[in-house]
Amino acid sequence: MAVDLDRCTGCEACVTACRTENNIRIAGPEQSARGRAIAWIRVERYYEGDFPDVRVKFRPVMCQQCDAAPCEPVCPTYASHHTDEGLNAQVYNRCIGTRYCANACPYSVRFFNFGNPVWDRPLELPLNPDVSVREVGVVEKCTFCVQRINAGKEQAKAENRELQDGEIKPACVQSCPASALVFGDLNDAESEVSRLSRSSRGTKLLEDLGTLPKVTYLQRQF
Amino acid sequence: MDLATERKINEDLLRPLRQTSVWFFLLIAGLGIIVLAGVGSWMYQIWNGLAVAGIRWPVFWAFYITNFVFWIGISHAGTLISAILRLVNATWRRPVTRCAEVITVFALMIGAMFPIIHLGRPWLFFWLIPYPSERQIWPNLRSPLAWDFFAISTYLTGSTLFLLLPLIPDFALLRDQMRGWRKRIYAVLALGWQGTTKQWHRLEAAMQIMAIAIVPVAVSVHTIVSFDFSMSSVPMWHSTVFGPYFVAGAIFSGIAALILAMAVLRKALHLEEYLHPVHFQNLGKLLLMMSLLWGYFTFAERLTTWYGNNSAEMAVFWETQTGAYSPLFWTMVFCNFVIPFPLLAIRRLRTITGTVIASSLIVVGMWLERFLIIVPSLATKHLPYAWGAYRPQPVEIMITVATFAAMVLLYALFAKAVPIISIWELKVGGHAQPVLTPEEQEEQRELWKARP
Amino acid sequence: MKAIYGLYSDPDSAQHAVESLRRAGVADDSISVLASQPYEEYEFSHRYKQTWLFWIAAGGGALGLWLGLGLAYLTETRWPLVTGGMPIFAWWPNIIIMFELTMLGAIIATVVSLLVMTELPTIRCKVYDPEVSQGKILVAVENPADGEISTLERTLKGSGITEVRRVT
Repeated sequence: MAVDLDRCTGCEACVTACRTENNIRIAGPEQSARGRAIAWIRVERYYEGDFPDVRVKFRPVMCQQCDAAPCEPVCPTYASHHTDEGLNAQVYNRCIGTRYCANACPYSVRFFNFGNPVWDRPLELPLNPDVSVREVGVVEKCTFCVQRINAGKEQAKAENRELQDGEIKPACVQSCPASALVFGDLNDAESEVSRLSRSSRGTKLLEDLGTLPKVTYLQRQF
Repeated sequence: MDLATERKINEDLLRPLRQTSVWFFLLIAGLGIIVLAGVGSWMYQIWNGLAVAGIRWPVFWAFYITNFVFWIGISHAGTLISAILRLVNATWRRPVTRCAEVITVFALMIGAMFPIIHLGRPWLFFWLIPYPSERQIWPNLRSPLAWDFFAISTYLTGSTLFLLLPLIPDFALLRDQMRGWRKRIYAVLALGWQGTTKQWHRLEAAMQIMAIAIVPVAVSVHTIVSFDFSMSSVPMWHSTVFGPYFVAGAIFSGIAALILAMAVLRKALHLEEYLHPVHFQNLGKLLLMMSLLWGYFTFAERLTTWYGNNSAEMAVFWETQTGAYSPLFWTMVFCNFVIPFPLLAIRRLRTITGTVIASSLIVVGMWLERFLIIVPSLATKHLPYAWGAYRPQPVEIMITVATFAAMVLLYALFAKAVPIISIWELKVGGHAQPVLTPEEQEEQRELWKARP
Repeated sequence: MKAIYGLYSDPDSAQHAVESLRRAGVADDSISVLASQPYEEYEFSHRYKQTWLFWIAAGGGALGLWLGLGLAYLTETRWPLVTGGMPIFAWWPNIIIMFELTMLGAIIATVVSLLVMTELPTIRCKVYDPEVSQGKILVAVENPADGEISTLERTLKGSGITEVRRVT
C-alpha cells in the first residue's frame, strides 16, 4: 500500500469505512476513555508550532504487513504468521489472547477484544457476512481487507483472466475522497503502488527498527 | 550425637505437627477467605472478559505479568540455598534448606498461574502444551512464551522432586512417631524407607545430581522469563543485559523472602535453638551482595540508555526518572538499595530485626521493579499518538493480594504437615547448634573465664 | 522373612557388632545396617558406595536432548509457517527447548533410577524397627539358618547393646 500524505485531509472516511467493512465492535464513550477502542486504521494528528503558526499533520496508520514482522515469532500459537502472498495473517481461532504480538508491534496497530461485541438493534443488520465477528479475548488488526482480496482473486479465476491493477480495493482505499491511499501488487513492477513505492518522496514508518514494512508514506511537499 | 539430643531434636521439630493453637485456625480461616475472594475475582474476570481489568491499548501487560515475574523470581530462593550451598559444602545451610525449597515450589506454582490468569481466552491455555492435536498444529517454538512453558515445567518438576527426595527419610521418622490416621498417610509417603546404607548412598548421590542439575535450570528459567521482554523492540525492553539482570533480581528477592519466612517460623514455631542469628547474618551478607549487584545492573542499564540518547528509549527513561512513574521509581531505589545497604553492611545492624526490615523493603522494591520494567515501556512506545496511562483496577489488586495470602496459607499448611527443618540433615551436621557468631563466641569465652 | 537384629545406641558399637559378625563367618551380603543418618565416616557405611547413578543421569540428559531436537525439528517442519522472516528451523530458539528437555531428562532419570535402585516403594516385607528413628542403629542378619540363631544372638549381644530381637 502507498499513502500520499500530501493528499490526506484527515477526514477519517477510511476509519469509518474500515469499521463498517470489518465488523469492528463499538466500545462506547466510557470504554474508549479507558483505552479499549478499536480502530484498525487510525488517522494520527500531530500539531506543530504555536498559534497562529500551527501546522497540522495527518498520518493514517494501519497494519504495515511487515516482512520481518516482530509480532509473528512471538505468538505461541501461530495465530500471527506470514502468508505466501506477503500478508501478516491473524488467525482468530488460534489466538488465546496473550497479547504479546500487540506489545511487540512498534506501530501499536494490534487491538485486543476486551469484551464480547454488542450491537444495539438494528445496528447488527449492516454486519458484513464475509468477515468473522471476533469473540472476547482475541487480538485483531487490519488485514488489508483480505476478504476482498480473496473475492477479487476468485472472481478473476472464475472469469479466466488475470487480476487488473486497482481491481481490488480495501475499504479504506475505496472510500478515500482524496485518493490518498493506493493498494496493489508490489510484485508487479508496473502497478501504481510499485511506482509510488519507488518515488523519491517515499519513506517507511520506523524504518530503522528493521521490520521491513510494506506501506510507503509519500511525504508532504511543503 | 547422643540419643538424648536426637530425641530432643525429634520432639522439638515435631511439636508444630502435634500441637495446634487456635491462632493457627484463625490464620488459615483468614487467609482462606482472602484466597477465595481472589478466586472469585478471577471467575468474575473470566465471565466478563478482561474489560474489568485495568489493561488497555497500548499497555497490554501490567499487574498480572508483574506478579508472574515477581513470583518466579521469588522461587530462586530454594535453588540458591539448597542447591548452590549444598554444592559448596556450606554446613550452615542445613536447618534452612527445606524452608527455602518450600518457598521455591509454592512460588513457582503461584507464578505459573499468572500466564493463565492474564490470557484473553484462558480456557485454551493448554494449546501451549506440545501434544498432537486434531487441529494438526503445534506451539510456535520460536515464541518466548513457548520457552516459558518448557522452562517453568522443568523447573517445577525439578524443584518438587528436589523437595520430596530428602523428605523421604523424614516421612519415615513421622511414620514411626505419629499415631492414627496420620501414621497411615506418612507410611504411604515414606515408601517403605528403612535407612539401609545402600538407600542412604543412593539418596545422597541423587541429591548431588539434582543440585547440579537444578542450578542451570533456575538460571535458564528466569533468563527465559526476561526473554519475554527482551525479544521485542519495545523501548527499554530490547536490552541484552535483561537475562543476567533478571536472574540477579530473582536471587535477590528470593533471599529476602527466605529471611522473612525464617523469621516468622522462628517466632511462631519456637525454633530459636535451630535458627540462629548466624543464619540471618550469613543470609544478610548474601542479601547485601545481591543488593550491590542489583544496583550495579540498574546503573549500567540506565547509564547506557541515557548515554545512547535514543529518542524512543529516552521518552521511557524520563517517564521513570522524573515523569509519572518517578515516585514509584525512587521508592524502589530506596527500598532495594539505599535503606538495605547500611542495614546489611554494618555488622551491628545486621541482626535478625535488621535483616527482616531490609527483606520486607526489598520484597516491596522488587515488586515495584518488575512493574516499572513492564508498564512505563508499554505506555510510551515508539509512536507518541499511541501513548497511554495505566490504572490498576480492583480485580487486579484483589488477585495480587490473594496470591500473597495463598503463599502464606500454603506455607502454613506445609509447616503443619511436615517438619519445616530437615531433621536428618540437621542431625548429620553433627550438632543441633551450628557455628557461633563472633559475638556469641566472645560471650562463651567470657562465661568460661568467669567460672572458677 | 526371618531376621535377627540388635539395636545399638552409638555407631562405634554398631561397627563392633558388624566386625564380630564377620569374624563369626556371616557373609557381607546378609548383614544390613539401618540408621536414621548416613554415618559416612564409619566403615559399615562404605559398602554400596559405587553407583551408576551419574551415568544414568547423563544418559537421561542425552535422551532429553534428542527428544528436544526431535520435537523442534518435526513440529516446525511438519507445518512450516513463516514468522517474522525467520528460517523455519533456526538453532537459536530451538537450543532453548533442547536445553530444558535435556535437564528434565536428567532429573527424571535420576529420580526414577533412585526409586528402582533403592526398591522404593516397597511391597515385600523388610526388616525394620521404629527405634531406628529415635537414634538407635540396627544391625541385622537376614534369613539366618535355624541352627545359627543362638550363635548370632551371642555375637550381637557381645557388643554391649540394649537388646536383640527376632523377626519371624
